Amino acid sequence: MLLSAEYQQVADMTRRFANDIIRPEAERLDREELFATDIYAAMAENGLFGITVPEALGGAGMDCLAYSIVMEELGRGYASIADQCGLVELLTTLLCAYGTDPQKSEWIGPLILAEKRGAYCITEAGAGSDVSGIRTTAIRTSDGWQLNGAKLWIHNAPVADVAFVLARTDPAAGKRGMSIFIVNCASPGVTRGPKEHKLGQRASQVGEIGFNDVLLPESALLGKEGRGFHIMMSVLEKGRVGIGALSVGILQAALEASLDQARLRRQFGQAIAEFQAVQFMLADMAKDTEAARLLVRSAAEQLDAGMDAAMAASMAKCFASDAAVAQTSNAIQIFGGSGYIRGYEVERLYRDAKITQIYEGTNQIQRVIIARKLLQT
Amino acid sequence: MKILVPVKRVVDYNIRIRVKSDESGVDLSNVRMSMNPFDEIALEEAVRLKEAGMAEEVIVVSAGVAACQDTLRTAMALGADRALLIEIGFDPQPLAVAKLLAAVCRREQPGLVLCGKQAIDDDANQTGQMLAALLNWPQATFASRVVVIGEEGQRTAQVTREIDGGQETVEFALPGVITADLRLNEPRYASLPNIMKARKKPLDTLSPEALGVDIASRLHILKVTEPPRRATGVRVANLTELAERIRAATRGL
Repeated sequence: MLLSAEYQQVADMTRRFANDIIRPEAERLDREELFATDIYAAMAENGLFGITVPEALGGAGMDCLAYSIVMEELGRGYASIADQCGLVELLTTLLCAYGTDPQKSEWIGPLILAEKRGAYCITEAGAGSDVSGIRTTAIRTSDGWQLNGAKLWIHNAPVADVAFVLARTDPAAGKRGMSIFIVNCASPGVTRGPKEHKLGQRASQVGEIGFNDVLLPESALLGKEGRGFHIMMSVLEKGRVGIGALSVGILQAALEASLDQARLRRQFGQAIAEFQAVQFMLADMAKDTEAARLLVRSAAEQLDAGMDAAMAASMAKCFASDAAVAQTSNAIQIFGGSGYIRGYEVERLYRDAKITQIYEGTNQIQRVIIARKLLQT
Repeated sequence: MKILVPVKRVVDYNIRIRVKSDESGVDLSNVRMSMNPFDEIALEEAVRLKEAGMAEEVIVVSAGVAACQDTLRTAMALGADRALLIEIGFDPQPLAVAKLLAAVCRREQPGLVLCGKQAIDDDANQTGQMLAALLNWPQATFASRVVVIGEEGQRTAQVTREIDGGQETVEFALPGVITADLRLNEPRYASLPNIMKARKKPLDTLSPEALGVDIASRLHILKVTEPPRRATGVRVANLTELAERIRAATRGL
């Protein structure tokens, strides 16, 4: 797909940033499970957070296609870094769409400038794919709300300054009885579990966050009471485009590393790139990468056009992440034994890829959505 | 003071160059193009001088095909205030570019022209020098440090140059021409908000005729060929053998 000059500029700039700033650090960030404070500051300086947030609110004022391009290039640098960009994008999108003016001015700027760290708290021990099973509750008090519950596998939970929490406000009303609250993590009653030690995307800080009788002012409610589930769902498609793009970035990195290795590594007196068995793996890798990229950009363009992009976004996320897992495995195959060793990029890419089939809606859920759409008409 | 920065659209420095099979030049079809890296350094220096209050306006100019617009938009995302495109259907040679730039200088009256020391495609390293000669302006080439001092109208430039024996610092009264070397600065990234803002900055198109410049080629390229492939290396057992081999290979040099 040919990008117009402006999108190409975005791609070039982000790729360069990733080459200079992210890629040299990826191995260390992974090994030491570090929160990449300096990189996030540099990203903020270069407008790489809040891609679709209007300029007037401090964002880049670009569209979903630009966002997908940024996510791909950051993901090619290091998936955990891209995921942070994706998280800020979702939280600021929620604020732009549903926030009151005071909520916007309190949180959008600091999130985009990486001065504050946000967490999006939906998943619970008993509620993953089935969000309707959440048990966290917010009960009305005389001047606000009282929040109780625990959220699991939450990105940024160990380091968050602010949490966007989905809670039941009317237990009898099911999906229509949920609301989203903006919780200052310094509030009494907010507790954090330890950081989880994960297979991949290890620089993403993930853990449990608990709310024990946390008292919230009325102004903590994001959007309308009872509309929490709907609000959460409204950004899922953008989220899926983002994770699809991140997966394309992983694919691209795997392809580039595999090409280098195939040209460099010699066996039986010739570069292994001369063997058709290796050539076919490279060819499959390249066509999966391009197909995934086109699906992601098509979904992004549908979102930008204001269309119902549910099926396109699910297809893009599902295809790209499945391809990322399959092709990073092939990348290790091309590297042979060395690809299985810590410190080699493809070893990390393989580990980083796996979660893309799970988070932002498992690929089983994506297939359910696609099938449901297919059978609807 | 205005600063004029010429920028050239060249094959991206990451691209492996391929020569056309008829040996007429480098194959540019489906090849990623970007701003000449030395021009990017020159532009960064100009933008820093503006940020330091030493200039009011940074103008970028490019001579070549319509797609040079993309290079100019990138330059404006990096901090240039406006752009001039001298549209020509082909890639002009250094003397033609120098004449075009001289004509632009007479129009715009910049206090300083900051350009890259050479373009990474033809590596001619001529345009800046020719421009200074045509305008009869002082010049400092291969700059690794630029300091502009003095009040508006009486500004001088102190330029540290990288020369064979080390570094040389020269000073001259502006207007003048400075060409940027690699170590002058590290260019910034075009931030996303600045890419958006660049869309709204003015880009004017000029023709060589309007500038009264004859751009006819004076050089003829006879042929362009790939460099010879490097021969396979030889493995040696130890350092002693390596030293002996080097001695043998360099005997009589």
